[in-house]
Amino acid sequence: MNNSAAIEVLGLKKSFGENHAVQGVSFNVNQGEIFSLLGPNGAGKTTTISMLSCLLRPNDGDANIMGHSISTDPMGVKSVLGVVPQDLALYEDLTARENLSFWGKMYGLRGSTLKTRVDEVLNVIGLRDRANERVGKYSGGMKRRVNIGVALLHKPKVIYMDEPTVGIDPQSRRNILDSVVLLKNEGMTVLYTTHYMEEAQELSDHIGIMDHGKLIAHGTHDELVKMVGQQTRIDLTLNGNADQVMAAWKETEGVSRVTSDEGLISVLVQDSNLTLPHLFEAATKHSARITSVNISEPNLEAVFLHLTGRALRD
Amino acid sequence: MKAFDIALKDMTRSFRSTFAVIFMFGVPLLVTGMFYFMFGNITDEGGFTLPKTQVVIANLDEGGPKFQVNPKNIPGGKEADSMGDLIVSILQSEDMADLIEITLVPSAETARTAVDNQESQVAIIIPTDFSHQFADVDGKAVIEFYQDPTLTLGPAIMRSILNRFMDGMSGVKIAVNFFVDEAEPEQLFLTGQVVDQYLEVSLAENDDPEVELLDVRNPVDGQKNDAAENQNLLLSIIGPIMGGMMVFYAYYTGTSTAQSILKEEEERTLPRLFTTPTSQATILTGKFLSVFMTVSVQIIVLLIAAHLIFGIEWGGFASVALMAIGIIVSASSFGVFVNSFLKDTKQGGVLFGGILTVTGMMGMIKIFAMNSAIANKMGDTISLLVPQGWAIRGLMQAMGGESFNNVALTVLVSFLWSAAFFAIGVWRFNRRYT
Repeated sequence: MNNSAAIEVLGLKKSFGENHAVQGVSFNVNQGEIFSLLGPNGAGKTTTISMLSCLLRPNDGDANIMGHSISTDPMGVKSVLGVVPQDLALYEDLTARENLSFWGKMYGLRGSTLKTRVDEVLNVIGLRDRANERVGKYSGGMKRRVNIGVALLHKPKVIYMDEPTVGIDPQSRRNILDSVVLLKNEGMTVLYTTHYMEEAQELSDHIGIMDHGKLIAHGTHDELVKMVGQQTRIDLTLNGNADQVMAAWKETEGVSRVTSDEGLISVLVQDSNLTLPHLFEAATKHSARITSVNISEPNLEAVFLHLTGRALRD
Repeated sequence: MKAFDIALKDMTRSFRSTFAVIFMFGVPLLVTGMFYFMFGNITDEGGFTLPKTQVVIANLDEGGPKFQVNPKNIPGGKEADSMGDLIVSILQSEDMADLIEITLVPSAETARTAVDNQESQVAIIIPTDFSHQFADVDGKAVIEFYQDPTLTLGPAIMRSILNRFMDGMSGVKIAVNFFVDEAEPEQLFLTGQVVDQYLEVSLAENDDPEVELLDVRNPVDGQKNDAAENQNLLLSIIGPIMGGMMVFYAYYTGTSTAQSILKEEEERTLPRLFTTPTSQATILTGKFLSVFMTVSVQIIVLLIAAHLIFGIEWGGFASVALMAIGIIVSASSFGVFVNSFLKDTKQGGVLFGGILTVTGMMGMIKIFAMNSAIANKMGDTISLLVPQGWAIRGLMQAMGGESFNNVALTVLVSFLWSAAFFAIGVWRFNRRYT
């Protein structure tokens, strides 16, 4: 991974009347890494992407994309950038090949170079066999793949993907996530927005969490989890004297908290692998039998909950 | 180059839409075709024939003071014993044979019944005292004209023939009365010659009454040249209608194609275009170019198709080319202008139903008022309040064989409209996307 910044975001602000959509967002994305902006709908992710795509002018702040300022050199920015918009932005009455060919021309490709790139991209998105069908006849997942393919035509150094997996089937989603990793492996820098915690967790080298127009935290997955000190939660059900067992568990090494709610006992531990055997021992000692166990590792959902007091999908 | 790519892409999309193609080419040709068949039977020569008017005549005239009328002055050359006979002779003449078919009946009632039973379209009842009234200085000679109220053309032709005849006879009566008052008693035997001379001038001068009785006009205010005069009646009706349809639907296409800017905004392809290294000016130029090119294809195809299908002569090449450019520029800029005021395509329905229809009909009003001098003048004024009217004016001038300079002047006015529309439209779109 190259540590020089592909994307430098410096105090971006954007308001629409009284709605302060983005309020001084700053972050860096290194070349060749995947940076995910995670946040609920309305957090300001798309507005941020729109400013970084030169579609919206920021009220304040600036950003440099591969050294090109979005304020002073928008054409330079656009030439190194591929954008996969949240909504499908394709001509449904044209075929996939015609779509790719047209968008390739808009990125300045011509002649044999254009033809070669169109064929290559059709291979990448797996639609070469159906390239001459009108996009309007494609399934949602296929359209998404063409939507991504358009952004790859000119081999951009940086690619923005704005919620590319919204509203598609699990198989197409899997394909898209795999293709994002492939792009990274080819050296592209990917700025990825999503409100799916699992996607950000799986894909990202770095994650920024946005809420109400602000970047409330950013770092690697582990850094974020550590930042809020989250522990693994073990949920158990018991057949026996729950009070005695719970009292014993509270004294067990590695356990920080034990609570009970309608028969379900939650135990917060530092390391579930080390602590779980001791929990079984204590239960056996009090002639109780553990009938179910569920382990929840610390995750971004919990981080978001900790930072905002709300669940990510609220 | 990118602008051209955008225009080509838009044209491809336009011509892949069955709905758009039908409206661009099918409807104008279809409407004109309907008029084509509505206005008459197509002959091998491309002309059309009027059906004969069935006329029943009850000549009850008992005659009166006689004056000799030279048979050569009566179409058909037959002698006439009364004014009623004279009318019948004229109407039965060979010259009228192509227009009317005469049946003589003995009574007024029989004549009216024939019309009531739709066996005839017109009944002419000449009263018993018709000749007497005519001969009487203070008399009033009246013919009863009884027609099927549901018909217009046949009865109108008959009324025109009779009016002309009665005007002539009134002239004779005035001439005779004047002669009797002024002549010496020994000169009264010359009364017959006075009548003959008058008839020579007023009745017999027209060798072909059909030509004179049917006032066949060229649509361009009587400014006919040789080429226009050679057009037959059907084409003189169909040509302007086709031209009007072409202008009406060219404006529809201009507006509809320009709406692709809003459509792309809604389809999110326009914002995506703005993320590519393509300037806003290039993108908008491409969109405007696509409107211009699409309307161009439509106009060229319609001009050629109408010529091949209906035989419409549009005029001299230079005038037609200039006029076509005028329509294309005008329709394109109007489309850009109107769409620049729309928030989204949903408003387009109101636009198409309202502005385009109203302005289109205003522009075409001259075409449908061309057979009435007063309505034609009024229609001319109204139509020039909208750009379509100027486009149609240029078209009619080219069709009427007017000079290139006249056509150029009209197209120049169209260009001025266009420049204003285009400037406003571009300014508004630029402001919208900046």
